[in-house]
Amino acid sequence: MKRWFPAALAVLAVGLALYPLQATGYGVRVMLQLFMWIALAQSWNLISGLTGYVSFGHVVFFGTGAYASSILIVTLGWAWPLACLGGGAVAAVLALLIGWPCLRLKGPYFAIATLGLNEVMRVVVSYYEGLTGGGNGLSLPTLYASVEIYYAMGLVAAAVTVVTYVIVTSRFGLRLMTIREDEVAAEAMGIDTLRYKLYAFLLSAAAPGIVGGLSARDQGYIEPLSVFPLIMTITMIVMALFGGKGTIWGPVLGAALLFAFQEVVWARFIYLHQLLFGAIIVGVVLLMPRGILGVLQQKYNLPRTI
Amino acid sequence: MGVLITPSMIGQVVISGLLAGSLYAMVALGLGLIFGVMRVLNVAHGPLLMMGAYTTFWLFQWIGFNPYLSLLISMPLLFLVGVALQRFLVRRVVDAPELSSLLLTFGVSIALVNLAQLAFTSDLRAVEYLTGSFVVGPFALSKPRLATCGFAIAITLGAFVFLRSTRLGKAIRAVSQSREVAQVCGIDVQRIHLITFGLGSALAAAGGSLVAVMVAIQPEMGQVYTFKSFLVIVLGGAGNYPGALLGGLLLGLVEQLASLFLTAQVNEAVAYVLLVVVLLIRPTGLLKGRV
Amino acid sequence: MVKRFGGVAAVNGVSLALEPGRIYGLIGPNGSGKTTLFNCITGVDQADEGEILFKGRRIERMKPHQIFHLGVGRTFQVIRVFPELTALENLLVVTTSGYAEAQRRARELLALVKLERLAGEFAGNLSYGQQKLVEFIRVLMTDPEMILLDEPAAGVNRTLLNELLDAVRRLRDQGKTILLVEHDMKVVMGLCETVCVLDHGEKLAEGAPGVIQADERVIEAYFGR
Repeated sequence: MKRWFPAALAVLAVGLALYPLQATGYGVRVMLQLFMWIALAQSWNLISGLTGYVSFGHVVFFGTGAYASSILIVTLGWAWPLACLGGGAVAAVLALLIGWPCLRLKGPYFAIATLGLNEVMRVVVSYYEGLTGGGNGLSLPTLYASVEIYYAMGLVAAAVTVVTYVIVTSRFGLRLMTIREDEVAAEAMGIDTLRYKLYAFLLSAAAPGIVGGLSARDQGYIEPLSVFPLIMTITMIVMALFGGKGTIWGPVLGAALLFAFQEVVWARFIYLHQLLFGAIIVGVVLLMPRGILGVLQQKYNLPRTI
Repeated sequence: MGVLITPSMIGQVVISGLLAGSLYAMVALGLGLIFGVMRVLNVAHGPLLMMGAYTTFWLFQWIGFNPYLSLLISMPLLFLVGVALQRFLVRRVVDAPELSSLLLTFGVSIALVNLAQLAFTSDLRAVEYLTGSFVVGPFALSKPRLATCGFAIAITLGAFVFLRSTRLGKAIRAVSQSREVAQVCGIDVQRIHLITFGLGSALAAAGGSLVAVMVAIQPEMGQVYTFKSFLVIVLGGAGNYPGALLGGLLLGLVEQLASLFLTAQVNEAVAYVLLVVVLLIRPTGLLKGRV
Repeated sequence: MVKRFGGVAAVNGVSLALEPGRIYGLIGPNGSGKTTLFNCITGVDQADEGEILFKGRRIERMKPHQIFHLGVGRTFQVIRVFPELTALENLLVVTTSGYAEAQRRARELLALVKLERLAGEFAGNLSYGQQKLVEFIRVLMTDPEMILLDEPAAGVNRTLLNELLDAVRRLRDQGKTILLVEHDMKVVMGLCETVCVLDHGEKLAEGAPGVIQADERVIEAYFGR
């Protein structure tokens, strides 16, 4: 495992980097979406996989980033790369503001609170019509930049994975995991759990914010319903869960497999798509809650860094 | 804003709030029972309500069945659906970490909504049965809302009498407080779980049947009620059933009051903001609940 | 100090003064408030009335992690190691010192209790006794001045127990303050210099082991009237 893996990764990276040169526009957009989902699932994993605090409204950071960066582009004329980074920053600030009070709540209540936050932001965005276009949505100036955005998304997905690796192999990551294992004992052992949870939450919000901005730029148009949907939160959760939450490559694997599945199924069974997705969710929860890599980890006593 | 707010406006709002709140209380009681007894966050509560609404609609459409009498059909029907869901699916996530029950019930929820879309299409439906209002002094009391409130109160009171006085009801409360002790006292906890989920579903269905007369019926209509039920449970305190009643009324009141001062859009957000605020100040609920 | 849950005072007006370099025992029938007292001292619960002072500082409103960093460590009645972390990692998460320093100290402590070969094993896979030891040395990672042990003898075999007790005596000789809750009377009487008895949340008696053993009120509390 140890020797061929980095080599295989390098080959994959080169392949992905060269992909746009001979792929169709549609192909590029599909892959770009895959990168987006990897970044989202990986980010959810950072807070919920490591600390055990279930963020059930995580798409709020995606939507906030989408609107923040789009507003920066439309009203202040920023270039999209900078605007997207701005979107990520705004999302991180939101995480800080909301995390400070909400991370003190216990399990189910934190989940409900984050769900509530998502709905609040959706309505707030609809309300400030002057800035956001309200229910009519916000249109961005026309731009054909799918290839550039493809690379940007890829970079973010890679960056989040690298950050996850660094965290999981560090003491910071260990401390996050103690929160998941036994928060009372962690506190008693001198770990300021609120502070650590906040850091994790902050980190988990930045990438969705950036990715939200990139997605908005690529689509050219956003509206509240399209960027704050509960189904997106659920999708990123199921992806992370399916691959293995709490692992490094689990979210990547889960995102890739489920995304491929969705592309195939959506094309053929449009009407049954939701039903099948519901069945998958139920299946994953009941049959493999530890996810593919989680199961492998347990069975073959693999290290934490897979 | 330049709007003069008269006492009679306040009065009207209070009345509307209580009327709406009674429905919220009943539906939320269903969710609260499920959460209190099994620690399951039932995201499928809204779709169950939706199914109750469609039951009423089709009965009305096909054989002109009285919408209010259809409660006698929708409630038992959804009771059975609830029992089936519990028996085959929800049972596995009782007492599991919240992520499991949230995801599982969400999966069930989109399956139900999708099934409804396939079976009934997304066309808006309506039950034209009762319209108009009684005018009492300066207040206008919408007839459908009054009927809904009346039935909701009756059903909720019935539920409370059931919980308080019958053996089964007491068993449910016992399991809700401590499963181990209940087991030791000879209570068949599995059976209680089945019945509780059925009851919760029946209450949701009752809500659906009652609102069928007032709002547009479509597969996704339940979502907003799911969330408001969560809110009411949090307001009233988890596992605190009278609290759900108060929470429902409070939500109804706050919503109507907010509509006086804010636009309809933001009205929706009021419920959510209230939730977040309450969670931050008193996570155990306004009345005492168990965390 | 007073601590109430609902209408019941779990701890009702208990006063204690502990000196460094001594081992204190806290005993009493079940439900007498021992663990609640522990929880209040370590910040897991908050006292309703009264003060808790550590080296002259009031700590009753502090959060557990702050109290820990002041120099108070504790173990738990039900073992609370982090099961999905290795034994070594269980120790590493505790200190704030540099990684290398922490590793060194962790391995040192593991060697002390002869668990070096299990350093890379997930704590959840260890035996009960091994987990107990890991929890014990985890407390020692930051060299706290005061150590609270909640039922250290529970479920532990004779050999292991003697090693643990020796270790506790050595800590006492280093000048630390040790407070332990224990049901095993032999351990308490053999180890502690001062024993404090709680009953229904109140302090019944306090003194040398021999005195306590002979105290009629204590016997009554344990065996009923």
